[in-house]
Amino acid sequence: MIEYLGENLWAGRLGHAAVILSFIASVLAFISYAASTFNKPEGAVSWKKIGRTSFWLHSVGVLSIIVVLFYIIYNHLYEYNYAWSHASRALPAKYIISAFWEGQEGSFLLWTFWHMVIGWVLMYSTRHWESPVMAVVSLAQVALSSMLLGVYVLGYKVGSSPFILLREAMEAPIFANPDYLSFITDGNGLNPLLQNPWMVIHPPVLFLGFASTIVPFAFAIAGLLKKEYSSWLTPALPWTLFGVMILGTGIIMGAAWAYESLNFGGYWAWDPVENASLIPWLTMIGAVHVMHAYKKTGNSLPTTFILVIATFLLILYATFLTRSGILGESSVHAFTDLGMSGQLLVFLFAFLLLGAGLLITRWKGLPRSPKDEGTYTREFWLFMGTLILSLSAFQILISTSIPVFNKILGTNLAPPADPIAHYNRWQLPMAVLIMSLTTIGHFLKYRKTDVKAFYRSLIMPTVLAGALTIATMIPLKIYAWPYVLLIFASWFSLAGNGSVLVKQFGKIKNAGASVAHIGFALMMIGVLISSANKEVVSINESGVSYGEAFDAKANFENVLLWKNEGLEMNNYRVTYIGDSVAPPNHYYKVFYEKLNAKGEVEYNFMLYPNAQINPKMGLIANPDTKHFLLHDLYTHVTQVIDKDAYKDRPKWQEPKTVQFKGKGDTLMLAENLIIMEGMSLQMPADMADKVAGAEVAVAAKIRVKTLKGDIQLEPVYAIQNGTEFRYDATSEEAGLKITLNKIDPQAETVEFNIAEANPGPKEYIIMKAIKFPFINVLWIGTIILVIGFTMAIMQRYFEALRIEAREKQA
Amino acid sequence: MKRTHIILIVIIAIAIGVIISTVGDSSSYENFGTAAANPEREYHVVGTLARVDEMHYDPEQNANLFKFYLQDNNGEVSEVVFYGTKPQDFERSEQVVIVGQMTGQHFTAQKILTKCPSKYTEDEIPIEAEYEATGTAPTTEG
Repeated sequence: MIEYLGENLWAGRLGHAAVILSFIASVLAFISYAASTFNKPEGAVSWKKIGRTSFWLHSVGVLSIIVVLFYIIYNHLYEYNYAWSHASRALPAKYIISAFWEGQEGSFLLWTFWHMVIGWVLMYSTRHWESPVMAVVSLAQVALSSMLLGVYVLGYKVGSSPFILLREAMEAPIFANPDYLSFITDGNGLNPLLQNPWMVIHPPVLFLGFASTIVPFAFAIAGLLKKEYSSWLTPALPWTLFGVMILGTGIIMGAAWAYESLNFGGYWAWDPVENASLIPWLTMIGAVHVMHAYKKTGNSLPTTFILVIATFLLILYATFLTRSGILGESSVHAFTDLGMSGQLLVFLFAFLLLGAGLLITRWKGLPRSPKDEGTYTREFWLFMGTLILSLSAFQILISTSIPVFNKILGTNLAPPADPIAHYNRWQLPMAVLIMSLTTIGHFLKYRKTDVKAFYRSLIMPTVLAGALTIATMIPLKIYAWPYVLLIFASWFSLAGNGSVLVKQFGKIKNAGASVAHIGFALMMIGVLISSANKEVVSINESGVSYGEAFDAKANFENVLLWKNEGLEMNNYRVTYIGDSVAPPNHYYKVFYEKLNAKGEVEYNFMLYPNAQINPKMGLIANPDTKHFLLHDLYTHVTQVIDKDAYKDRPKWQEPKTVQFKGKGDTLMLAENLIIMEGMSLQMPADMADKVAGAEVAVAAKIRVKTLKGDIQLEPVYAIQNGTEFRYDATSEEAGLKITLNKIDPQAETVEFNIAEANPGPKEYIIMKAIKFPFINVLWIGTIILVIGFTMAIMQRYFEALRIEAREKQA
Repeated sequence: MKRTHIILIVIIAIAIGVIISTVGDSSSYENFGTAAANPEREYHVVGTLARVDEMHYDPEQNANLFKFYLQDNNGEVSEVVFYGTKPQDFERSEQVVIVGQMTGQHFTAQKILTKCPSKYTEDEIPIEAEYEATGTAPTTEG
């Protein structure tokens, strides 16, 4: 055994203990709450007490893990694998938080944390639902806590501990040295792509969204268990709305990060990881709508159960997709496999068994409406809208799961080569239907609608939407009919919900749905316009032929900018001015001048796209974006000059040999004029020591006229101990090296070797610039959507309180 | 027939359509041989860099033209043309996936995905760098 020096081991031991505490306490909480669910009232109360205590103990464990892990990262304890792998000393403080959840263990921890907080609220707000609901939450905590265990059970690795030491995590010769730690001076650092403010906020929001899907799931399971098939909807509805809102916000924040930080030039790329959280979001929106339908009319209860359960299972499936490494090459930001895919599958199937099994056993007993809904009823179209949302989710699910099918069926399919076209083919028509239904649904009434009045009410939004569509498509030149249809449907949704909102003005409390729909319609319009009319600005218009056969598919989206040489592109004159370094980032100053039709400058601005030349990952470009009210101009550097390529070039060119006869002789060079001023026995100050005691020591006095002024150079020729010495004079500014070669007394000439410096690399950057019109509409729509959901949550929350109070009285 | 049944049939039909379209749109991991036989189809070709010396990217001439040679998993080498910038550190990538189709003698790539020996995915301590930073190499006592 080696006695290692300088390791801080107590932090890890404490962390391990906390992991075990959180796991065992969650098992206890699950058993107690489950026992309380199935026990007689007297026993149930005491079991519930044990359940609560256990859940609090579990919380102590979880919070301790977080504190210890944070301590390890913050104090740069690189003996721990997690700190070494995800942090470094240069990491700014705010990104230490990102380093915390960069790894799988940290992100599971984040998820566990949110479940825990939600558990606290549920324990004290769900009354008679507490035991079954908390049993489900505790079961999920058992699963999540076990992901951090990192122990071997019967040869299988269960979980991966964030507290293992670096020397336990990997084998390297360095660990033969007891003092290895003094050589590990810094950590690996955080992936530069994640060093973005959005990455501080996006993961916690997204995971809160993930975590909140457990609440409706737990209520549904509780309802099925207790055969109380409908009363769970009232307390579950505000949570479902909350989940939709938070998950949606998290997804949009991820999109904002992709827009600002990734280089694929947009906010959505149908990447499998993005899709994985979009799928449960769509099914949860569906669930919200059928929940409303059931509460008002008693229809669609089986659909509600299916969607609520499916949403949670799809969250688990999303976790499996992103964490098991199965996505591999098909995604830009999947996690790597930590050997936990088996464990993830076990949880997925356990919850599938619980949810689907219980639903199937209770299926026959679910209350159903005796007759079909009428065609002109809101509940029917809520149901239809939900079906379309589910189909939309299904289509994304199937396409995203291609790698899974490959695994199961042994096929070798690759994802669609053009994912955007593939997804749009299905998602565009479905979006048209969904957007139209948001208005149609609002104009229909529950149970029975006056058909004539309904059609009359559609006239105004249709006319308005038609006019707005024409006003949008013509100036923006959008003529492809699927886009035109979706723009129409979105305006139709906006106009319809707008008119509903106006009517609701007196009882604004109930207007959540119409506000949220307006926000959603704006988002769709923003997405459509900004992506359909996205315009690459950086097209070289200099007229230089590339000399290569143009391929029909070739799109020359990058331009090369020489330093200080302006280039005109798309009504801008763009100049690369220089760069500045703020380690680890390298900022390139790109000066934009907007030109009008006459070629005059209207206004100008500077952008600072940056690049990290990461030793291991190559160039990581972070774009810079100029935000205007009506559009964004987005610039990113795709290549920079490789200065290393110039490293091996000799500094000095081949010297020229010249003979000067005497004072006043000159030599003209490209940038310098060299004037001989005479010879002297007076040594320059710095030479006196070197030539002391020499037989001969002569200095030439040479004046150099440079572009920046005159400089004096004095090369020396000496004979010391019978040997010739030549001390050359160099000037970095002038790029000159002058050697006094020899003095010829007969010819009365002095010979010099004059060498000029090799010119440095001519600097350039290669960049891409894209204009996104009206992207602010997308962000404004998102904000309105969140406001609408907040209103709806408040409304449903107070409604649940009122119902509860009424039940208490009764 | 009840309306519910009609809806059900339509839903099933759409679902089948979704599955068929996914299979139809999906490209496949193939080699140059298959790509050359079906020049109209897009393929993913997985391979490693070949003839690194003949890699061509001269941004001063054309910043949007990058040519290199790739050896697919069957050992066949083909020239690949990509109209875009050369990915930084391309030479060091262990594995390259190109998405595109065969056009005449060369493969025209729409997309290049590289798998670099990334420090963020691989558990390997860069020992040399560590020693360089501290200036001395450790002596193992024993």
